[in-house]
Amino acid sequence: MQIPCFILAMLIVTFCVRTDAADDVLRSAFKQHCFRCHGAEKTQGKVNFVKAFAAKSEGLTSDLDLIEKIIEVLEDKEMPPEDEKQPMESEREGWVSQLKKTLNKHLAKRSALNRVPIRRMNRFEYNNAVKDLFKLSRDPFALPERTVRDIGGYFKPATGKMPSTVVVGNRAMGKSQFIGKGNTLQGVAAFPKDNRAEHGFDNRGDHLSLSPMLMESFFALSQSIVNSPEFSRYSKTWETTFVAPDGMSKEQLRAEGKNRLKAFLRRAFRKDVSDKTISLYFKRFLQQFDKGISFTDSMKAAVSAAMVSPRFLYIYSSSGQGEISQTDHNFQLASRLSFFLWNSIPDDTLLDLASQGKLNDPKELGKQVDRMINDQRLKNFCDSFALQWLQLDLMIATVPDNKRFREYYFGGPNNMVYMIGMHMMIEPLLVFETVLIENQSITQLIDPDFTYHSEMLKRWYKHDRRKGRAEVTSIRFKRVPIKDRRWGGVITNAAVLTMTSSPLRTKPITRGAWLLSSIFNDPPEPPPANVPEIETDDEKIEKEGLTLRDKLKQHVTHQECATCHKKIDPLGFALENYDAVGRWREKYRTGLSIDSSGKLFNKHEFKDVIGFKKAILIEKDRFARAFASHLLSYALGRKLNVSDRPSLDRIVTNTAKDDYKFRTMLREVILSESFINKATTKMENH
Amino acid sequence: MKKLSRRSFLYGAGGAAMALPWLNLTHLSGAGSTVASSPVRMAFYYIPIGIVRSAFFPNQDETEYKLTPTLKPLEAMKHKTTLITGLDRIVQSGTDVHAQCGSCFLTSAAPNEVKNSAYPLSRTLDHVIADHVGKQTPFRSLELSCNSHKDNKESVYFDNISWYGTGHVAPSFRNPRKVYRRLFGTQGIKDYRDITDIVLEDARSFSRELGVEDRQKFAEYFDSVRSIEKQIDKIEQKKELIAKVEMIEPDDVPLPRREYIRLMGHLMIVALQNNLTHVATMMVGPERWNTPTMYEGVFDKPKSHHQLSHAQSKNQVRHDLEAIDHFHIEQFAYMIQKMDSIKEGERSLLDNTVFTLGSGLGDGQTHQYNKLPIVIAGSGGGSFKTGRLIKCNDGTPLANLWLSYTHLMGINRKRFADSTGLLKELGVEKRD
Repeated sequence: MQIPCFILAMLIVTFCVRTDAADDVLRSAFKQHCFRCHGAEKTQGKVNFVKAFAAKSEGLTSDLDLIEKIIEVLEDKEMPPEDEKQPMESEREGWVSQLKKTLNKHLAKRSALNRVPIRRMNRFEYNNAVKDLFKLSRDPFALPERTVRDIGGYFKPATGKMPSTVVVGNRAMGKSQFIGKGNTLQGVAAFPKDNRAEHGFDNRGDHLSLSPMLMESFFALSQSIVNSPEFSRYSKTWETTFVAPDGMSKEQLRAEGKNRLKAFLRRAFRKDVSDKTISLYFKRFLQQFDKGISFTDSMKAAVSAAMVSPRFLYIYSSSGQGEISQTDHNFQLASRLSFFLWNSIPDDTLLDLASQGKLNDPKELGKQVDRMINDQRLKNFCDSFALQWLQLDLMIATVPDNKRFREYYFGGPNNMVYMIGMHMMIEPLLVFETVLIENQSITQLIDPDFTYHSEMLKRWYKHDRRKGRAEVTSIRFKRVPIKDRRWGGVITNAAVLTMTSSPLRTKPITRGAWLLSSIFNDPPEPPPANVPEIETDDEKIEKEGLTLRDKLKQHVTHQECATCHKKIDPLGFALENYDAVGRWREKYRTGLSIDSSGKLFNKHEFKDVIGFKKAILIEKDRFARAFASHLLSYALGRKLNVSDRPSLDRIVTNTAKDDYKFRTMLREVILSESFINKATTKMENH
Repeated sequence: MKKLSRRSFLYGAGGAAMALPWLNLTHLSGAGSTVASSPVRMAFYYIPIGIVRSAFFPNQDETEYKLTPTLKPLEAMKHKTTLITGLDRIVQSGTDVHAQCGSCFLTSAAPNEVKNSAYPLSRTLDHVIADHVGKQTPFRSLELSCNSHKDNKESVYFDNISWYGTGHVAPSFRNPRKVYRRLFGTQGIKDYRDITDIVLEDARSFSRELGVEDRQKFAEYFDSVRSIEKQIDKIEQKKELIAKVEMIEPDDVPLPRREYIRLMGHLMIVALQNNLTHVATMMVGPERWNTPTMYEGVFDKPKSHHQLSHAQSKNQVRHDLEAIDHFHIEQFAYMIQKMDSIKEGERSLLDNTVFTLGSGLGDGQTHQYNKLPIVIAGSGGGSFKTGRLIKCNDGTPLANLWLSYTHLMGINRKRFADSTGLLKELGVEKRD
């Protein structure tokens, strides 16, 4: 692990320029425990303490992220490495508490949180914004990323209850999910899907940019949407925005056009619009209307122009120099809220409250959050956040070997056309939606007392070779209680277990890395270069009389590798009883026995996956914090850093007080300082 | 544009050479340039994840060298290519090596030179050149990526070698049909002209409401809209040009890899040939992206280029990797042959182009940024001698080659990124 070493170096520098006694203790401790590998004899992780000391550079305490990271590696006993001399428990605790003090002192001194940077809408948001702006009863264009297709109308958050049977399709992997009309607007073409940031989401401000090509798409969309032959039929704003009222004179129609535009622009630009801005787009209306073009087409022209305005395409926070006005902050909050929970523009209620300056009142804000969670548009949050958090789109390109795992494939003339992955992918998403809608504890995501199974999936888990009804277009999922704790939740489901395997065997390291990233929000560094590949077929490994664990152990001989793998591998091996397509196995195929025991965070020993889940639950604050971090990062469209620490502390504490309920956590995320952040123009370096 | 029967496009099994009308360039009359006005075009063909060096670089000296097994497909065009060895880039720690080797290949900025970015990434060479020559053509530049992956696995840094600047990607097209529509579509775009004035005015007042950092980022909006305005201004010119192009719109059907790459190549060639643009980049695949890909006609099962690269100590795996390298060279060879068959006066389109094949990694297994594989096809209108092997001293900055290119394109600058001087061995003479 390179980063912690680096941090140690930074800290030494930090402490060497400070003088109080506690720091001296730390300094000498680090000298004793860290110097040898970092400067004296080696420069592990490209860090040279000696040099750092000689430089005596100041100001490194400003990199508080590094201090935060070192607290983590000390707490988890990742450093010093296992085969090095270990400090006494009390010493270690002393260092950690000293570091925390330093950290908090500096955090308190810091005035500004990181800004939420300006960014354009991503594809998913653009689609939803257009849909809500025109109150369309369908998506403008096809979105395979909206994986769970709600066929039976199951998603009703206001009821606070998920039905026991739901009928869904899988838009990414199922059959006929887009064919025919009834899903999108004719003649409207999507722009390319936005990539996810590494260990992040697809709404990150530093990743979303605009190009001439994309701008051309926005121009084309702005016209093709309102001019789609189906637009008038599916837009509930058609009459009120585009159709001329009967019996009006030209002059009256002009005034009418202006009024309508004013109302439209407020919704499109998500704030009260200045007269100057209105007149700009009204000019476009007049250009057409005064040429003798119809009221409807003139409105379309003005509306199209507004749809390529930056005020529509961009989500932004800061406003001018210095302090922003109360009203501006309110409107910013309205957008931040709606893009977080709905992936879309705010509705009139939010805009009205913002306009009255009431939205930043915590009470009102909490009320709005409850209302928004009960709204149908919450589905957008589930579609976008859950899939990316769990990286479930990896399922699409996962291809278990079609001989070894022949039964993974089914349908079509050769029984090879579809993959049962299309069922698997749905299960954890339904569990996620249920925990949210029913406001259950987020620990249910790890170790739930229910899950949803299709007939095929139920048989799959039971190793039943008869597939049952081969549903490929609409799939019926039934809620089933979980009595056997090996199953259910976002970890031990066939989708995650399959997508973290290779075609011919499980990949414990990949599984471990997935757990670290998704469940603990602590993604490992990518492997260094020149790591020899391990045999990709477990059959061949087992022919040597070795289990995969033996083989990996041989593999991880270098100390440099061991530091990371000690953290990654036990997590992955905890899941080793699940084969490469997510089914339980007691032994390897050759009869070798499976060892899924390990230790979580160097603290909690476990014998099997049930013990592993129990260990995670002992560390549930840690999971809660990781989950809150994912949510907050997603909500803000930026990477988190140490300045968000106080917010996260509060979110976790308050959520824990309310039995870790999901909706409570969402509310706490929104009420946090990081989220409410009244943007100033100050920006920290990333 | 002449409409042909679409039935004949549908591909058959095996991915062997097929009669795809859109790949038949011999029918193209195009708006071929005359000798007097032949512009120099600049194109790049990026290979991800490095190559197997032992099968790529020849051992012979500069005068008489034999093509290695990987480079064999270039045989017929050897006299029009230049193989360069010994070029380097320096890695900046802190980002994924694959993300950086691709996204920074054409920028080659020195480590830590670019502030506020984890990547040593500033405006890339193709855009620096497009700044200079892009005004002459309807499109400043064209960016293509033969990335057919459906999973949204990697960030934007893995799939783009062209950048307007730090953090500001010039996104690449993956879909041939969309490329076609961009190049040849003229409908609608003219209507935008009435709107650009309005939104630019709105954007100016909007920009004043932003903080300093956001305002910098927001410059992308002005750049994009103005670029569209310029395109609209050139629309008449474009209409004339494309009236002469016989190419039909590709279907939206997934193609076998070979045909997919060739189709994208063909679109690029048509764009260069008809002066729709003079600058183009093409990634033959994205960096890293572990998801296995089907290489029809090479392997019978999908393979992950990246995973293979890390197991090449095994003979069989290395053979597989060499087969992928060979496959990529084969498509490059196909493209340059096509380009050479397009006459421009006494020269060919290829002669008037500098078409550079390269990778940001010398070796995919060890992630080395040195000893990069570089092959130049064409001579930029006789700007340098071809048919040679140029052995540079190890450690010669890749940016020296890029600096030579800027001179070749008529840009007078002393330095490009971390260059230490012109690549003298290439012997670029400035063109008038």
